[in-house]
Amino acid sequence: MKDLASINLDTMTPAEFEEYLPELFEASGGSISSDPRFANFFRQHANCAALVRDLETIAEQAKSLFEPMGDPSDAVWSNIASKLKDENAGNDEDR
Amino acid sequence: MQTEPNPGLFKRNAPIAGEADAIERAKKGDPDAFARLYALHKRRVYTLCLRMLGNVSEAEDMTQEAFLHLFRKLDSFRGESAFSTWLHRLTVNLVLMHLRKKGLQLVSLEETINPSEEDAPKRDFGARDTQLSGSVDRVTLERAVAMLPPGYRMVFVLHDVEGFEHNEIATMLECSTGNSKSQLHKARLRLRELLRDPQNLQPENRLMEASR
Repeated sequence: MKDLASINLDTMTPAEFEEYLPELFEASGGSISSDPRFANFFRQHANCAALVRDLETIAEQAKSLFEPMGDPSDAVWSNIASKLKDENAGNDEDR
Repeated sequence: MQTEPNPGLFKRNAPIAGEADAIERAKKGDPDAFARLYALHKRRVYTLCLRMLGNVSEAEDMTQEAFLHLFRKLDSFRGESAFSTWLHRLTVNLVLMHLRKKGLQLVSLEETINPSEEDAPKRDFGARDTQLSGSVDRVTLERAVAMLPPGYRMVFVLHDVEGFEHNEIATMLECSTGNSKSQLHKARLRLRELLRDPQNLQPENRLMEASR
Protein backbone atom coordinates (compact mmCIF):
# COMPACT_ATOMS: atom_id res chain seq x y z
CA MET A 1 0.00 0.00 0.00
CA LYS A 2 1.51 3.34 -1.12
CA ASP A 3 1.64 6.48 1.00
CA LEU A 4 -0.36 9.23 -0.69
CA ALA A 5 2.01 11.90 0.68
CA SER A 6 4.63 10.76 -1.83
CA ILE A 7 2.48 11.26 -4.95
CA ASN A 8 3.95 13.52 -7.63
CA LEU A 9 1.25 14.01 -10.24
CA ASP A 10 3.68 15.51 -12.75
CA THR A 11 5.95 12.50 -12.92
CA MET A 12 3.63 9.63 -11.93
CA THR A 13 3.48 6.71 -14.35
CA PRO A 14 0.33 4.61 -14.95
CA ALA A 15 1.92 1.71 -13.03
CA GLU A 16 2.60 3.97 -10.04
CA PHE A 17 -0.93 5.34 -10.28
CA GLU A 18 -2.31 1.81 -10.00
CA GLU A 19 -0.30 1.24 -6.85
CA TYR A 20 -1.81 4.36 -5.30
CA LEU A 21 -5.35 3.56 -6.42
CA PRO A 22 -6.60 1.55 -3.41
CA GLU A 23 -5.59 4.38 -1.05
CA LEU A 24 -6.84 7.05 -3.44
CA PHE A 25 -10.27 5.44 -3.63
CA GLU A 26 -10.44 5.22 0.13
CA ALA A 27 -9.26 8.80 0.66
CA SER A 28 -11.51 10.30 -2.00
CA GLY A 29 -14.66 8.51 -0.93
CA GLY A 30 -14.72 6.84 -4.35
CA SER A 31 -14.76 9.83 -6.70
CA ILE A 32 -11.35 10.30 -8.22
CA SER A 33 -12.45 10.99 -11.80
CA SER A 34 -14.04 14.31 -10.84
CA ASP A 35 -11.04 15.44 -8.76
CA PRO A 36 -9.48 18.40 -10.63
CA ARG A 37 -6.02 17.52 -9.29
CA PHE A 38 -6.02 14.46 -11.57
CA ALA A 39 -7.48 16.15 -14.65
CA ASN A 40 -4.12 16.67 -16.36
CA PHE A 41 -2.91 13.16 -15.53
CA PHE A 42 -6.10 11.64 -16.92
CA ARG A 43 -5.80 13.72 -20.11
CA GLN A 44 -2.34 12.23 -20.63
CA HIS A 45 -3.31 8.67 -19.65
CA ALA A 46 -6.69 7.79 -21.12
CA ASN A 47 -6.47 4.16 -19.97
CA CYS A 48 -6.05 5.26 -16.36
CA ALA A 49 -9.06 7.55 -16.74
CA ALA A 50 -11.10 4.67 -18.19
CA LEU A 51 -9.99 2.33 -15.41
CA VAL A 52 -11.00 4.81 -12.71
CA ARG A 53 -14.38 5.46 -14.34
CA ASP A 54 -15.06 1.72 -14.54
CA LEU A 55 -14.09 1.07 -10.94
CA GLU A 56 -16.24 3.98 -9.81
CA THR A 57 -19.16 2.58 -11.82
CA ILE A 58 -18.72 -0.84 -10.20
CA ALA A 59 -18.50 0.63 -6.69
CA GLU A 60 -21.53 2.83 -7.30
CA GLN A 61 -23.62 0.03 -8.78
CA ALA A 62 -22.64 -2.29 -5.90
CA LYS A 63 -24.82 -0.15 -3.63
CA SER A 64 -27.86 -1.41 -5.54
CA LEU A 65 -27.02 -4.95 -4.42
CA PHE A 66 -27.84 -3.93 -0.85
CA GLU A 67 -31.49 -4.40 -1.71
CA PRO A 68 -32.58 -7.93 -0.80
CA MET A 69 -32.66 -10.70 -3.41
CA GLY A 70 -35.53 -12.65 -1.90
CA ASP A 71 -37.10 -14.17 1.17
CA PRO A 72 -35.91 -17.19 3.09
CA SER A 73 -38.44 -20.03 2.99
CA ASP A 74 -41.19 -20.18 5.62
CA ALA A 75 -39.42 -23.18 7.15
CA VAL A 76 -36.72 -20.84 8.50
CA TRP A 77 -39.14 -18.98 10.76
CA SER A 78 -40.89 -22.25 11.74
CA ASN A 79 -37.55 -23.67 12.88
CA ILE A 80 -36.63 -20.50 14.76
CA ALA A 81 -40.03 -20.36 16.50
CA SER A 82 -39.83 -24.04 17.40
CA LYS A 83 -36.30 -23.74 18.84
CA LEU A 84 -37.21 -20.65 20.84
CA LYS A 85 -40.25 -22.46 22.22
CA ASP A 86 -38.02 -25.39 23.27
CA GLU A 87 -35.48 -23.02 24.85
CA ASN A 88 -38.19 -21.16 26.76
CA ALA A 89 -39.70 -24.45 27.95
CA GLY A 90 -36.22 -25.53 29.15
CA ASN A 91 -35.74 -22.22 30.96
CA ASP A 92 -39.13 -22.58 32.69
CA GLU A 93 -38.22 -26.09 33.87
CA ASP A 94 -34.93 -24.80 35.31
CA ARG A 95 -36.76 -22.24 37.45
CA MET B 1 -0.46 15.20 -1.46
CA GLN B 2 -3.36 16.30 0.74
CA THR B 3 -6.60 14.42 0.47
CA GLU B 4 -10.02 15.40 1.64
CA PRO B 5 -11.30 13.45 4.64
CA ASN B 6 -13.41 10.49 3.66
CA PRO B 7 -17.00 11.77 3.74
CA GLY B 8 -18.05 8.40 5.07
CA LEU B 9 -19.85 5.51 3.56
CA PHE B 10 -23.39 5.71 2.32
CA LYS B 11 -25.91 5.53 5.08
CA ARG B 12 -28.25 2.70 4.28
CA ASN B 13 -29.08 1.46 7.72
CA ALA B 14 -31.55 4.09 8.78
CA PRO B 15 -33.89 3.10 11.62
CA ILE B 16 -37.13 1.45 10.51
CA ALA B 17 -40.49 2.60 11.81
CA GLY B 18 -41.55 0.50 14.79
CA GLU B 19 -38.14 -1.13 15.12
CA ALA B 20 -37.07 0.55 18.38
CA ASP B 21 -40.32 -0.41 20.07
CA ALA B 22 -40.03 -4.00 18.80
CA ILE B 23 -36.45 -4.23 20.12
CA GLU B 24 -37.45 -3.06 23.60
CA ARG B 25 -40.43 -5.40 23.73
CA ALA B 26 -38.40 -8.33 22.38
CA LYS B 27 -35.78 -7.69 25.08
CA LYS B 28 -38.57 -8.21 27.64
CA GLY B 29 -39.44 -11.53 26.04
CA ASP B 30 -42.40 -10.54 23.88
CA PRO B 31 -42.53 -13.23 21.14
CA ASP B 32 -44.63 -11.08 18.81
CA ALA B 33 -42.04 -8.34 18.97
CA PHE B 34 -39.29 -10.81 18.06
CA ALA B 35 -41.42 -12.06 15.16
CA ARG B 36 -41.70 -8.42 14.07
CA LEU B 37 -37.91 -8.01 14.13
CA TYR B 38 -37.61 -11.16 12.04
CA ALA B 39 -40.14 -9.85 9.53
CA LEU B 40 -38.30 -6.52 9.29
CA HIS B 41 -34.82 -7.97 8.80
CA LYS B 42 -35.12 -11.50 7.39
CA ARG B 43 -34.65 -10.52 3.73
CA ARG B 44 -31.47 -8.52 4.25
CA VAL B 45 -29.95 -11.07 6.61
CA TYR B 46 -30.80 -13.88 4.20
CA THR B 47 -29.42 -11.93 1.23
CA LEU B 48 -26.19 -11.24 3.11
CA CYS B 49 -25.83 -14.96 3.96
CA LEU B 50 -26.63 -15.97 0.40
CA ARG B 51 -24.03 -13.61 -1.08
CA MET B 52 -21.38 -14.77 1.35
CA LEU B 53 -22.13 -18.47 1.00
CA GLY B 54 -23.52 -18.76 -2.54
CA ASN B 55 -25.83 -21.60 -1.46
CA VAL B 56 -29.55 -21.33 -0.62
CA SER B 57 -29.64 -24.16 1.89
CA GLU B 58 -26.61 -22.94 3.84
CA ALA B 59 -27.89 -19.36 3.64
CA GLU B 60 -31.20 -20.42 5.19
CA ASP B 61 -29.39 -22.34 7.94
CA MET B 62 -27.23 -19.33 8.73
CA THR B 63 -30.25 -17.00 8.66
CA GLN B 64 -31.84 -19.27 11.24
CA GLU B 65 -28.65 -19.27 13.34
CA ALA B 66 -28.35 -15.49 13.08
CA PHE B 67 -31.85 -14.92 14.45
CA LEU B 68 -31.43 -17.52 17.21
CA HIS B 69 -28.19 -15.79 18.14
CA LEU B 70 -29.97 -12.45 17.99
CA PHE B 71 -32.62 -13.70 20.42
CA ARG B 72 -29.93 -14.77 22.90
CA LYS B 73 -27.82 -11.62 22.51
CA LEU B 74 -30.50 -8.98 22.12
CA ASP B 75 -29.99 -7.75 25.69
CA SER B 76 -26.45 -6.70 24.76
CA PHE B 77 -27.68 -4.33 22.01
CA ARG B 78 -27.14 -0.84 23.43
CA GLY B 79 -28.04 1.21 20.37
CA GLU B 80 -24.48 2.45 19.79
CA SER B 81 -24.88 1.63 16.10
CA ALA B 82 -27.98 1.12 13.96
CA PHE B 83 -29.71 -2.12 14.87
CA SER B 84 -29.38 -3.43 11.30
CA THR B 85 -25.63 -2.70 11.31
CA TRP B 86 -25.30 -4.59 14.59
CA LEU B 87 -27.40 -7.49 13.30
CA HIS B 88 -25.45 -7.67 10.03
CA ARG B 89 -22.13 -7.65 11.90
CA LEU B 90 -23.42 -10.47 14.11
CA THR B 91 -24.49 -12.37 10.96
CA VAL B 92 -21.15 -11.86 9.19
CA ASN B 93 -19.28 -13.15 12.24
CA LEU B 94 -21.49 -16.24 12.40
CA VAL B 95 -21.02 -16.94 8.69
CA LEU B 96 -17.25 -16.54 9.00
CA MET B 97 -17.21 -18.85 12.02
CA HIS B 98 -19.24 -21.35 10.02
CA LEU B 99 -16.78 -21.13 7.12
CA ARG B 100 -13.80 -21.54 9.43
CA LYS B 101 -15.37 -24.64 11.00
CA LYS B 102 -15.68 -26.17 7.54
CA GLY B 103 -12.09 -26.98 6.67
CA LEU B 104 -12.43 -26.65 2.91
CA GLN B 105 -13.99 -23.19 2.98
CA LEU B 106 -11.43 -22.00 5.49
CA VAL B 107 -8.58 -22.90 3.14
CA SER B 108 -10.40 -21.32 0.26
CA LEU B 109 -10.98 -18.11 2.23
CA GLU B 110 -7.35 -17.81 3.23
CA GLU B 111 -6.19 -18.55 -0.27
CA THR B 112 -8.15 -15.71 -1.67
CA ILE B 113 -7.13 -13.31 1.10
CA ASN B 114 -3.75 -14.02 -0.50
CA PRO B 115 -4.93 -15.35 -3.86
CA SER B 116 -2.87 -17.27 -6.34
CA GLU B 117 -1.55 -15.49 -9.43
CA GLU B 118 -4.14 -17.36 -11.45
CA ASP B 119 -6.99 -15.72 -9.53
CA ALA B 120 -5.43 -12.29 -9.34
CA PRO B 121 -6.68 -9.66 -11.79
CA LYS B 122 -4.33 -8.87 -14.62
CA ARG B 123 -2.56 -5.55 -14.98
CA ASP B 124 -3.33 -4.32 -18.43
CA PHE B 125 -2.51 -0.65 -18.72
CA GLY B 126 -1.84 0.17 -22.32
CA ALA B 127 -3.43 -3.06 -23.49
CA ARG B 128 -7.13 -3.37 -24.24
CA ASP B 129 -8.93 -0.12 -23.70
CA THR B 130 -12.44 -1.50 -23.90
CA GLN B 131 -14.33 0.14 -21.11
CA LEU B 132 -17.57 -0.63 -19.41
CA SER B 133 -20.54 0.98 -21.04
CA GLY B 134 -21.94 3.81 -18.93
CA SER B 135 -23.69 1.59 -16.43
CA VAL B 136 -23.77 -1.99 -15.29
CA ASP B 137 -27.13 -3.52 -14.56
CA ARG B 138 -27.76 -5.11 -11.21
CA VAL B 139 -28.37 -8.65 -12.51
CA THR B 140 -25.13 -8.67 -14.49
CA LEU B 141 -23.16 -7.33 -11.55
CA GLU B 142 -24.79 -9.92 -9.27
CA ARG B 143 -23.61 -12.68 -11.64
CA ALA B 144 -20.10 -11.30 -11.77
CA VAL B 145 -19.91 -10.99 -7.98
CA ALA B 146 -20.96 -14.63 -7.66
CA MET B 147 -17.96 -15.55 -9.84
CA LEU B 148 -15.39 -13.83 -7.64
CA PRO B 149 -13.04 -16.01 -5.61
CA PRO B 150 -14.47 -16.27 -2.05
CA GLY B 151 -12.00 -13.90 -0.36
CA TYR B 152 -12.48 -11.17 -2.98
CA ARG B 153 -16.25 -11.67 -2.87
CA MET B 154 -16.28 -11.43 0.92
CA VAL B 155 -14.41 -8.11 1.02
CA PHE B 156 -16.39 -6.65 -1.90
CA VAL B 157 -19.75 -7.59 -0.34
CA LEU B 158 -18.76 -6.33 3.11
CA HIS B 159 -17.36 -3.00 1.87
CA ASP B 160 -19.12 -2.01 -1.34
CA VAL B 161 -22.49 -3.67 -0.72
CA GLU B 162 -22.87 -3.72 3.07
CA GLY B 163 -20.92 -0.52 3.73
CA PHE B 164 -18.55 -1.80 6.43
CA GLU B 165 -15.32 0.17 6.96
CA HIS B 166 -11.96 -1.45 6.22
CA ASN B 167 -11.01 -1.56 9.90
CA GLU B 168 -14.21 -3.49 10.69
CA ILE B 169 -13.60 -5.88 7.79
CA ALA B 170 -10.01 -6.39 8.91
CA THR B 171 -11.22 -7.35 12.38
CA MET B 172 -13.87 -9.70 11.02
CA LEU B 173 -11.57 -11.40 8.51
CA GLU B 174 -8.55 -11.33 10.82
CA CYS B 175 -6.38 -9.52 8.29
CA SER B 176 -4.77 -6.06 8.14
CA THR B 177 -6.62 -2.94 7.02
CA GLY B 178 -4.16 -2.62 4.15
CA ASN B 179 -4.96 -6.17 3.10
CA SER B 180 -8.67 -5.39 3.13
CA LYS B 181 -8.13 -2.31 0.91
CA SER B 182 -5.91 -4.25 -1.42
CA GLN B 183 -8.36 -7.16 -1.68
CA LEU B 184 -11.22 -4.77 -2.40
CA HIS B 185 -9.23 -3.16 -5.19
CA LYS B 186 -8.38 -6.54 -6.69
CA ALA B 187 -12.01 -7.61 -6.43
CA ARG B 188 -13.11 -4.52 -8.36
CA LEU B 189 -10.41 -5.10 -11.00
CA ARG B 190 -11.54 -8.72 -11.35
CA LEU B 191 -15.16 -7.58 -11.70
CA ARG B 192 -14.10 -5.13 -14.38
CA GLU B 193 -12.47 -7.97 -16.32
CA LEU B 194 -15.58 -10.11 -15.97
CA LEU B 195 -17.95 -7.30 -16.93
CA ARG B 196 -15.96 -6.11 -19.94
CA ASP B 197 -16.46 -9.42 -21.68
CA PRO B 198 -20.04 -10.69 -21.34
CA GLN B 199 -18.88 -14.14 -22.49
CA ASN B 200 -17.26 -14.47 -19.07
CA LEU B 201 -20.69 -14.48 -17.49
CA GLN B 202 -22.12 -17.33 -19.59
CA PRO B 203 -23.35 -20.29 -17.48
CA GLU B 204 -20.58 -22.67 -18.62
CA ASN B 205 -17.88 -20.17 -17.65
CA ARG B 206 -19.58 -19.52 -14.32
CA LEU B 207 -19.47 -23.22 -13.52
CA MET B 208 -15.80 -23.43 -14.45
CA GLU B 209 -14.97 -20.34 -12.41
CA ALA B 210 -16.90 -21.58 -9.38
CA SER B 211 -15.02 -24.89 -9.44
CA ARG B 212 -11.60 -23.18 -9.35
